[in-house]
Amino acid sequence: MRISEQAVFRWVVIVGVAAVSIIVLTLLTRPLFGALWGLVLVIVASVHGCRWIVRKRREF
Amino acid sequence: MESATVTLGHAEEHEHHGPPEAHQSSSIDRQTLGIFLFIVSEVMLFGAFFASYFFLRVVVSPESWPPEPYELPKAVAGINTAILVSSSFTVHYALESIRRGNRTGLKAGLVLTWMLGAAFLFIQINEYVHLGFSARDLGFGSIFYSLTGLHGAHVFVGLMLLSFATIRAFRGHFGPAAHDHLGVEVPGIYWHFVDVMWIIVFVTVYIL
Repeated sequence: MRISEQAVFRWVVIVGVAAVSIIVLTLLTRPLFGALWGLVLVIVASVHGCRWIVRKRREF
Repeated sequence: MESATVTLGHAEEHEHHGPPEAHQSSSIDRQTLGIFLFIVSEVMLFGAFFASYFFLRVVVSPESWPPEPYELPKAVAGINTAILVSSSFTVHYALESIRRGNRTGLKAGLVLTWMLGAAFLFIQINEYVHLGFSARDLGFGSIFYSLTGLHGAHVFVGLMLLSFATIRAFRGHFGPAAHDHLGVEVPGIYWHFVDVMWIIVFVTVYIL
């Protein structure tokens, strides 16, 4: 596992893109849809993070 | 004494092939681990504030949010967001520059990041002055100032860290090797964290 500024910067870009999608959806529809989409993204990110942790544990 | 230790550490970095040194991980250095653990604790702090925000908004909330007649300046906050996001790119540029041995790029990146951070803070203080409500006005006012103020305090701390890194850069510190620019990398990681937190605060408080 490498924790570096480059890895964290990648997360800034990912979170930024996710935020733009929420903002666009909210402005085009209603805040409720934006909030739901945000919730979906948080769940997807959590599942992805859990799988990554399990994979890294197996490697060690 | 310290310089002797640092020199020894660099020599070992190139020659050492066995297991990692005692009390030290081979995959992460102590400084980076320290800032990572600090950020984890900060995420929990922000989590508590977000929990309060959603409790007030969803459970205690009035019909509309923000409550009438209060209004949040979305456009100004949007510009402020763009400024802070840009500063993440400039700090990344500063680090990429020093990794390639470009000291001018490092200095330019750090100065630009500092200026963008200071501009963000200035605009936020200006926003507070012109908002038309205070932290005493309902739960909405309290949680708005708490959440954005907590973030503003983090920007201030980040600016202090960047000031130290910038002064050191102008005094000729830092180099291309990984261990020679930790003094920029650690504040850089912290600055990215501050940036990510603002994106979440902006979307939650101003947009949704």
